[in-house]
Amino acid sequence: MKKSLILIFLFAATHLIANDNLLLMEQANKYYDGSEYAAAAETYETIVSNGLESADLYFNLGNAYFKLNNLPMAIFNYEKARKINPHDDDVLHNLQIANSRIIDKIEPVPQFFLFQWWDILVKSRSMEQWGRISIIAFISFLVMALIFLLARIVRLKKAGFWSGMAFLAIFILSLILANQHYQSIHNRTEAIIFTPTVTVKSSPRENSTDIFVIHEGIKVQITNQLGEWYEIKIPDGSKGWILEKDFRKI
Amino acid sequence: MKKYFFKIGFLIPTAIIAWLAIMPVKSAAQEPQFTASAKSVVVVGERFQLQYRFTAEGQGFRGPNIADFDVLNGPSTSTSSSVQIINGQVSREVSYTFSYILSARREGSFTIPPATINFNGKQYTSNPVTVQVHAGGQTTPGGQGSSSQQGSQQKSSSEEVDVFLRAEVNNSSPFIGEQMIISYKLYFNNQIAGHDGFQKISSFPGFWVKNLFPNQREIPTTTENFRGKQYNVAEVRRFAIFPQRAGPIEIQPQESEITVRLRTESKRKTSDPFFDSFFNDPFFSSRYSDISKKLSSNSLTINVKPHPTKDRPENFSGAVGKFTLQSQIDKTEVKANEPISIKLTVTGSGNIELFDLPRIEFPRDFEVFDPETKSDIKVTTSGVSGNRVFEYLVIPRNPGNFKIRPIEFSSFDPSTGNYSVQKTPEYNITVERGDGTSSVVTYSGTVRQEGIQIIGSDIRHIKLPPYQLRPIGLYFFRSNGYYLALIVPFLLFVAVLIIWRKEMKKRRNVELMKNLKATKIARKRLKLASNFQKQGKESEFYIEISRASWGYLSDKLSIPVSELSMDNVRVRLSAKGLQEETISQFIETLNQTEFARFAPGAKEENMERIYNGALEIITKIEKELK
Repeated sequence: MKKSLILIFLFAATHLIANDNLLLMEQANKYYDGSEYAAAAETYETIVSNGLESADLYFNLGNAYFKLNNLPMAIFNYEKARKINPHDDDVLHNLQIANSRIIDKIEPVPQFFLFQWWDILVKSRSMEQWGRISIIAFISFLVMALIFLLARIVRLKKAGFWSGMAFLAIFILSLILANQHYQSIHNRTEAIIFTPTVTVKSSPRENSTDIFVIHEGIKVQITNQLGEWYEIKIPDGSKGWILEKDFRKI
Repeated sequence: MKKYFFKIGFLIPTAIIAWLAIMPVKSAAQEPQFTASAKSVVVVGERFQLQYRFTAEGQGFRGPNIADFDVLNGPSTSTSSSVQIINGQVSREVSYTFSYILSARREGSFTIPPATINFNGKQYTSNPVTVQVHAGGQTTPGGQGSSSQQGSQQKSSSEEVDVFLRAEVNNSSPFIGEQMIISYKLYFNNQIAGHDGFQKISSFPGFWVKNLFPNQREIPTTTENFRGKQYNVAEVRRFAIFPQRAGPIEIQPQESEITVRLRTESKRKTSDPFFDSFFNDPFFSSRYSDISKKLSSNSLTINVKPHPTKDRPENFSGAVGKFTLQSQIDKTEVKANEPISIKLTVTGSGNIELFDLPRIEFPRDFEVFDPETKSDIKVTTSGVSGNRVFEYLVIPRNPGNFKIRPIEFSSFDPSTGNYSVQKTPEYNITVERGDGTSSVVTYSGTVRQEGIQIIGSDIRHIKLPPYQLRPIGLYFFRSNGYYLALIVPFLLFVAVLIIWRKEMKKRRNVELMKNLKATKIARKRLKLASNFQKQGKESEFYIEISRASWGYLSDKLSIPVSELSMDNVRVRLSAKGLQEETISQFIETLNQTEFARFAPGAKEENMERIYNGALEIITKIEKELK
């Protein structure tokens, strides 16, 4: 009860703050159009530090950093935008260009086609969209259930049953898909390397063997943690340990 | 003018040549001389020169048949000519010299036969030469130039040869690689007329050698007491030697050859003591004989000790001596692709040329060139010292923070018998982003990225309003709102279901009650109607009968009375499964009731009949519906 009250309060409060930040947003856009990318990035960052976000904000911020030739920050923000809005074509395009300018080119290991399809399905909608779909499907399911239960005509009853089942299936699927987004957002298992050159170690010790070298801007998966050391996995499947200071979680 | 100069320039040499041609040349008229000369006395194995001199331009030189000596070299020809003009007399001398280098094979007196040469169609024959060969080491009178005449007159010497060569080392039990000095000293009490430069002293198997007297120079002489006797001592050779292996190493005796000039007793006696002593001086008296002598030094045994195994550092690579290691870096903050130079300098004395420094390990992203090595080694009489510089040039290709790990250099100090380990400092290098797009321009092998750059591509423009800003991390999915959006419809669903069900139940209960009570009510009404009949109230009776019939139907069929009519009663009742006959009877009864109300006639009789009919048909329907 308390929590929901706070939430309501937050929504109300942020609506007020949002107005100011929308002005900031427009100011930043003006800086960007005037090629003052540093000022633009700073202003966008102010909005983020005010505790607000959106896919568009991260996208614009990424653009500003890209223009400043700060590739890791650009990629970081594009990835954030992609998390919120995974099927935005502009985000994907700019992310691809930024990724093509970093030093490391790592061929991803090809996945089994079912996993690829699943991934495409997951990323075809954002978490919020899947969430909304799940609610609509649930309500539809309930309506169909009522029809099934209350109708006195047999044909209506049958139609209610089958469409109810279909909506239930859609509801469960969208719940799973939305939850997948949720996990990736909340567990933050992806990270961007920020240190220009990182030597990846074989074990979480300073004096262990160097396995490979990666450079700033590359996206890695965090698979394990031990103190300030993190085990990472790069797209080609290689694993190794790096320090916390070398990356930022998306 | 030019022509005139040309003429003069031309005339002068021409005139001289003409004059020379006209002048009477004396030499042409003189008889040429053909003489042979050689050392008259030699030692076995000694090299000497045999010369044939002909004072004209001879042809067809035929050398002697030299059987008793080894010909080491020859004949080699040399020419000399001179022109003299004295009081208008021009004398021109030409001489041809044919020389051999010979070596005496055995003792004895040998005669070299004459040689022949042709000149102006005439054959000239030289004199034969007799050479006396003595066994080696014997005192032989000097035999060249002016002294040969003296030597032939005077043969007894007044001195003994007292010359020897000694080898000395400053340390007879060094460690492997330790610098030690070996010097060769000539001890003598005679006058030394000549030597072979002591160049044969050079071979030291088992040692690395550095000559400390590399250039021929004046040899200073000191005096030294050796075995109770005063000697003049000249240090002729000195080397720094570095033993290369452990164990006893013998330095073989080194040989050298010197010529000792021995004074001989003078026969010239003058009354003047001053002149006597003056002319007795060897310089003037020139009464001496030169003796060639082979010298052999003592042999030395060096006991070379291995490096102690105790506390020996792992990376010890054989540096022995006193060294200091210095490391210098020109900058620690650079932009990408800018070179950094790191200098390692080893200074000290010891086997500095015999070891290498461990290599610096650079981060992988650095392009490393082979280090440039510069040596500044000073060879002084006290040994070898100096410095060696290893200069690394590296180019960081990518920005970042890098560490250059220190290197460890360990050396062994033989004077203390301890190892010392020196470490260079660790350098932290900050590489800034270079000018331009250095992150794309990369040269380091494995991380190079190829063929991705889309030509002319750029990022898409920023997103334009409207924007929807939300608090960070506040998502609808799995928020309370989301759960509410699920729960509320569900609760509504359940509520609708419950209410519906209840309503249904309620309605059914009412119908059931009505159904159950239908007969009762009908009977009640019929009773009331029978009361009205007895009282003779005719209209009330018919109303009550009609109510009883219609009310019963309404309750039984769960249809409101207002919806019932004569037309639909039949349909409804047949749906309830009543027999056609019963329905017809019921409708008949209803019709009679309506008809009887308004029809005139026997009122009592009619009322009785209708009452009975209604009672009968209701009872009948009651039976059939059960």
